[in-house]
Amino acid sequence: MSLIRKSPLHDVAAALQPEWGAINDMPVALQFDHGDGQRMATLGIADLSGLWRHGLKGPGSIAWLEAQGIVIPAVNSWAELAEGGLIARLGRTEFMLEDEPNGTTARRVQSLLAVERPYGVYPVLHQDAALMLTGTAVQRLLRQTCSFNFMALDAATQPLVLTTMVGVAVTVLPVATADGVHSRIWCDGTYGEYLWHTLLDIAHELDGGAVGLNYLILEGKSQ
Amino acid sequence: MKILTCPINGTRPISEFIYGGEYRAMPDPQVVSDEAWADYVFNRNGAPGIKLEWWCHASSTTWFIVERDTARDRVVRSFLFDEIRYQGGAK
Repeated sequence: MSLIRKSPLHDVAAALQPEWGAINDMPVALQFDHGDGQRMATLGIADLSGLWRHGLKGPGSIAWLEAQGIVIPAVNSWAELAEGGLIARLGRTEFMLEDEPNGTTARRVQSLLAVERPYGVYPVLHQDAALMLTGTAVQRLLRQTCSFNFMALDAATQPLVLTTMVGVAVTVLPVATADGVHSRIWCDGTYGEYLWHTLLDIAHELDGGAVGLNYLILEGKSQ
Repeated sequence: MKILTCPINGTRPISEFIYGGEYRAMPDPQVVSDEAWADYVFNRNGAPGIKLEWWCHASSTTWFIVERDTARDRVVRSFLFDEIRYQGGAK
């Protein structure tokens, strides 16, 4: 196994000495300790940077995605991909695709764009820090860190919010699950450590903390 | 808290936005006189009043136009540049 990719959050996660695994050739924390399940139910923060993602933008991007058979969500919303994963519409003509651990759509889009170079479609590299917040205290954390009222959103409509969180530009995507509403968060990888530390400090105050991917992936909650 | 409305992302605190300067229609450089071009490049009108301004929603890098009364610091409306472009430029 050649692990050539590295999460922007690798070093801060390594400091907590988790049990390691790998997704898409990137080391990922599978479990921090036996309290992962408890923290996940209260306020868990997981690093999902290992999931494969790719972006594209430009005036021809909608037509090109439709030609690939990929569903086009409305502006500031997201949709599930047929092969697992999600497509997020970040603006009128900008999209980000993210695969589930065994998904192939984002990887296929990246390969096609590298070969075809279609007119009016421009690839966007996404080496983001990707997080997932889980548990009953997610809204309390969001209220402390964002100026946006996430309580006003209906997760069933699959909204997507581009805002700032503790001063960092983030994409936030509320996901309705059987356990409640989780939040996916992406930010520029260079801000990852700062965001992780800040959110983790707040999470500790709320009886939460870091969680590994064992629960998320095995239970199919990564999206 | 001061707020501003992005035409794409909605109403947000002003801390999410970056001011990009006054919007001024660029004269056609192929036909404009040297004096008019120099006026466009070097001179600014600082008098308060209703002005069109560039603003950017930093979290999404959405650039748009705000019509703002700079004398009273009141936003009249915000809209995408397309509205100006399709009208052939702002006066």
